[in-house]
Amino acid sequence: MNRFFEKLITKQWLILAIVLIVTILFFWQMKQNSRMETDLDEYMPQDHPAFVYSNQAEDWFNIKDGVIIAIENEQGIYNSGTLNKVKQLTKALQKMEQVHKDDVTSLYSADNIIGTEEGLDVKPFFDRVPDSDSSLSKLQQNVRNNEMVFGRLVSTDEKVTIVVAEIGDDVFSQEFYHELLDLAKTYEGPEKLHVAGRPIVEGTMAYLGPRDMQRMVPIVIVVIILVLLFVLRSVKSTIFTLLVVLISTVWAFGLMAAVGIPIYAVSTMIPVMLIAIGVADGIHLYSHLFLFMKSNPGVGKKEAVLDMLKEMWKPVVMTSVTTAVGFISLLTSEVYPIKYFGVFTAFGVMMAMVFSLALIPAGIMAFGLPKIKQDSKNIGEQGRAFTAFALFINRHKYATIFVSIAIGAVSIFGMSKVWINSSFLDKFEKDSDIVLTDKFINKYFGGTSTLNVILDSSELDAFKEPAILTAMDQMQQDVDGSLEVVGNSFALTDYLKRMNKVMHADSEKYNIIPDSKELVAQYLLLYEMSGDPENLWQVVDYNYQKANVTFQLKSDNSKALNSALAAIDRHLGNFKNLGVKLNYAGSGYKGLVFSDLILEGQIKSLILSLIIVIALLSFMFKKITAGVIGAVPITITAFISFGVMGLFNIPLSTTTALLSSIAIGIGIDYGVHFIERYKIYAQETGDKNETSRQTMHHSGRAIIFNAVVVIAGFLVLLFSVFPPNRALGALVSLNMFTSFLGTVTVMYVLLYMSNIYFKKKK
Amino acid sequence: MSFKKMINSMLMMSLLMPVLAFGQEKLTGLQIIQNVYDRPTGKDQTGELTMTLINSRDDQRVRKIRQYLKNFGQVEKKTMFFISPADVRNTSFMNWSYDEQGRDDDQWIYLPALKRVKRISSDSKSDYFMGSDFTYDDLGDRHPTEDTHNLLREEKYNGESCYVVESIPKEENYMYSKTITWIIKDKWIGLKKEFYDEDDDLLKMLTVKKYEKIKGYWLILHSEMSNSQKDHKTDMLLENVQVDVGVSDDNFTERMMKRGL
Repeated sequence: MNRFFEKLITKQWLILAIVLIVTILFFWQMKQNSRMETDLDEYMPQDHPAFVYSNQAEDWFNIKDGVIIAIENEQGIYNSGTLNKVKQLTKALQKMEQVHKDDVTSLYSADNIIGTEEGLDVKPFFDRVPDSDSSLSKLQQNVRNNEMVFGRLVSTDEKVTIVVAEIGDDVFSQEFYHELLDLAKTYEGPEKLHVAGRPIVEGTMAYLGPRDMQRMVPIVIVVIILVLLFVLRSVKSTIFTLLVVLISTVWAFGLMAAVGIPIYAVSTMIPVMLIAIGVADGIHLYSHLFLFMKSNPGVGKKEAVLDMLKEMWKPVVMTSVTTAVGFISLLTSEVYPIKYFGVFTAFGVMMAMVFSLALIPAGIMAFGLPKIKQDSKNIGEQGRAFTAFALFINRHKYATIFVSIAIGAVSIFGMSKVWINSSFLDKFEKDSDIVLTDKFINKYFGGTSTLNVILDSSELDAFKEPAILTAMDQMQQDVDGSLEVVGNSFALTDYLKRMNKVMHADSEKYNIIPDSKELVAQYLLLYEMSGDPENLWQVVDYNYQKANVTFQLKSDNSKALNSALAAIDRHLGNFKNLGVKLNYAGSGYKGLVFSDLILEGQIKSLILSLIIVIALLSFMFKKITAGVIGAVPITITAFISFGVMGLFNIPLSTTTALLSSIAIGIGIDYGVHFIERYKIYAQETGDKNETSRQTMHHSGRAIIFNAVVVIAGFLVLLFSVFPPNRALGALVSLNMFTSFLGTVTVMYVLLYMSNIYFKKKK
Repeated sequence: MSFKKMINSMLMMSLLMPVLAFGQEKLTGLQIIQNVYDRPTGKDQTGELTMTLINSRDDQRVRKIRQYLKNFGQVEKKTMFFISPADVRNTSFMNWSYDEQGRDDDQWIYLPALKRVKRISSDSKSDYFMGSDFTYDDLGDRHPTEDTHNLLREEKYNGESCYVVESIPKEENYMYSKTITWIIKDKWIGLKKEFYDEDDDLLKMLTVKKYEKIKGYWLILHSEMSNSQKDHKTDMLLENVQVDVGVSDDNFTERMMKRGL
C-alpha cells in the first residue's frame, strides 16, 4: 500500500487532469440529459397492489383531483353579477386546453334534479343568468332544496360558491397554476376569488421544495467554506475539501444523467448527504496533516503527505465503504426514487473517498502544504482542553452511560409517538396563501381533500340492490356524522335518494333508498333519459358491479385520513356479508400508502445497514466488540433523531425519513476514525490514559471540526422559506451534534471500559 | 333597342341561362335535407328495437324495446315498452313530437315499480336518448330550417351516389358546430353523418349499416353512432318491422303505457 501511495503522489498532475476531464464530461452530461421528474405518480411503485387497484379505479370512475376556485361575495352570491362570473369562469375553464369540458363542475354546469307536479325534471340551475328578483330567488330556492348542491357547490351561508375543474395527474405545471391565478384575478371585485385544491398543493410543493433547495444550497456551501476556513486555517485545504464534495456531487448527477435516470424530489437530498458526509474525509486528513506538521516542524510535503495517507487511508476507506453500504441498503425499498437515491449517494460517497485519497494529496503535491501559523500556545490550550475533556468523561463514566441510557429511554418513548404524515399541505407555512385558501374553502364546504371508497361485487347489478345501497348509505351517514374532519360524501345513493324524494312530491320521508330493486333500476333509467348519464359513471360502473363513494375531507394529513379509514373499516363486515369487497383509491390514499412504504423501507434498511455495519466494523477491526462499539454512535443518533421527532410532534415525511441514512453515514465516520486512532495510540503507547488523551486530541478534534462545519452549514436551512427544508436543516444539525457527542462520550467510555487493544497488558 | 343594349341583354341572358338550367337539375343543400326530412316512412310502424350501449372498455348494456309509432299529421306519437333488462321490464315511454317549430316534445314515462306515469320534460333536444349516443335531434327530429345547408359535393360512398351536405346550425352555442351528411340520391337516406363539436373537432359519427324498402318505404334498420371523444358507441337494431298495419290510437295513451306488454 505504501508503495502505491509513493507512486501515486508523484502523479499529481495526471490525477488533477483526469479528475478535471471526467468532471467536465459528467458536467456536460448533466447539462444535456438531466430531467426533473415532477409527476408524483412516477414516484410510486406501480406494481404495488394498492396502487394497481387505485389506478384502475381512477380509470373506472374518472377519479381526478380537482382545482377549486371559490367565488366569495360578502353580499351573497344571488345577484346577476356574481352568477355571471360563475358562468363565465366555468366556460373559461372548460375552454382551457388542460381541462376536459365535462370535468368542470359549478352551479352553472350542474344538473338540478327537481320534482315538478307532473314528475321529474333534470335541468341546469340556470342557463341565461337570472336578473329579476323573482328568478334570482327561485334559483336560491332551487339550490336550498337540493342536497346534492347546497353545501357542496354553494356554501350554506350563500356567500361563497365554487367552480371545480378536475385535471389529470400529469397536467399540472407552474405555468398552468399561474394561468389559473391570472384567470381568477380577472373576476375579482367586488367578489374575492380563491384558488385551491390538491393539484395546486402538490404542484407547488414539487416546485417549491427543489427551487428553495437550489437557492439555499449555495448559501450552505458559502457558510461551510467560511467555517472550514476558520477551522482549517488554510485556503488551499478549504478549497480541496470542498472540491471533493462538489466534484463527487457532479459525478453522481452526471452518472445519473448518463444512464438516463431523472432527478426526483428525493434526489435533491443527494448533495445534502454528500456535503454532510463528504467533508469529513478532508477534515480528518487535513487535521492529521496539521498535527503531523506541528509535531514535525519543517517537514517536506512529500513526507507529510505520505504519512497522512499511510495513517489515514484505512479509516477513510472504512468510513466510506460502511457509509456506502448503508446507502446501498436502501435498495430494499420498494420505492424506485429511493433506490436510486441510495445507489447514487453511495456512488458519490465512494467517489468522495477516491478524491480524498487522490485529489487532496495531488493538490498538496501540486500547490504545496497548507501554511500553518506557529501558534503553539493555542494548540497547547486546545490539547489541554481535549485532555481535560477525556479526564472529565473518565471520571463520570457511569454517569455518562446512565445519561445515555436515560436519553435512549426517552427517545424510545418519543419514537413511539412518531407518526408519518403524507400531507402536502402541512409542508407549507401556516400563513401561506395555499394554507389559508384551503382553510377558507374547508370552512364553507365539505373539504378540499378526497378519499375514494371503491365497492366491488362479483354480481351483476349488485348496486341496484336496496340492501347494498342501504349499507352504503349507512356508511356514508356514519362516517360523515361521526368525524369532524369528514365534510360530506357523494355516491350513487345520493342520486337515488334525491330521485325518490322528488318523485314523491319532495317529501322528506322519501329521502331514503327505494325499497325495491326494480324501482332503483327504473329511477336510474329515468335519470339516464332526462339527465346526463355521464354523471352516473363517476359513481357506478356500467354493469352496476362497482361503486365509488367519495368522502370529502377537511385535511389531507395522515391522521385525518387514518381516522376516516378506521371509520369506514367498521363497515367492512357488513359489506362482506353482502358479498361486496371494499377498497380505497385516490391520490390521498396513494400518498398515505406511499409514505408507509417509505417508512417501512427506511426501517428495514436501517436495521439491515446496522447489521452490515457491525459486521463490517467487526471484520475491519477484527473484533466483534469493536464492531458493536462502533455502531453505538449510529444507534444513538438514530434513536435521538426519531425520538426528537416524536417528542416535538415533527411527523415523518419523505424527506425527514431519509435522514436516518445521514445518521448512519455520519455516525460511522465518527466512530471509525475514533476507534482507528484509539487502536493506533493503544499500540504506540500501551497506556490507556495516554491513548485516551491522544485520541481525543487527534480524532476528537477532527470530529468536532467536522460537526461544527456541517452544523453551521445546515443551520442556514433554518432560514428557508419551505418548512420541510427547515426541518431538514434542523435535523441534520441535530444528527451531526448527537453523532459527535455520542462518539466522544458514551462510545469513548465503552471503548475505555471494554479494554480492547489493552488485554495483553492488563 | 340599340345594338349596345341588345348585346348587353344577350350577355345577361347567356350568363343567366346556365344558372337557371343548372338550378332545375341540381338541388340545394336545403332541398336535399328537406327531402330526407320528408321521406315517407308510413302512417304507422311497429318493431323491436335492440339498443346496445358499448363503453370504452367494451362493456355492453343491451336494452330491448317494443315500439309503436304513428303519424297523426301535425304530431308524431311514439310509445316504447322495455322488454329487457328484467328490472325495467314494462317500463314504458311515450313521446309526442310536434311539427310546429320550436315546440318541445311532450314525454311521459311509466315506472311499474312506482305504478305511476310521470311527465319528464326535456328542455333541450340535445339531450341524449336513454343513455345512448343519440340525441333526440339525431334521431331525426331536427327541422331542416334550423340549419343552413350547403351542398359540398357529390361522391360515391359505399357504392352509392351520394350528396355530401354540410349543415351549420343557425342557433349559436348549439351542441354541434356543423354536421356533414352523405345522402343517397333518390332514396333520401343519410348513409353517414359526421358531427363536429364547437372546436370543429369530430365528435360523433353515425353509420347506417342496413336499410331496406318495406312496403315501399325506405327504412333504416341498423345503425351505429360512435362518439370518438368519449369512446362510447350505440348500436341500434330494428327488427320485426311492420309498416301501415293500422296501429290503434289507443296505443298512445297513459292507460296503454300502464298496461304493459
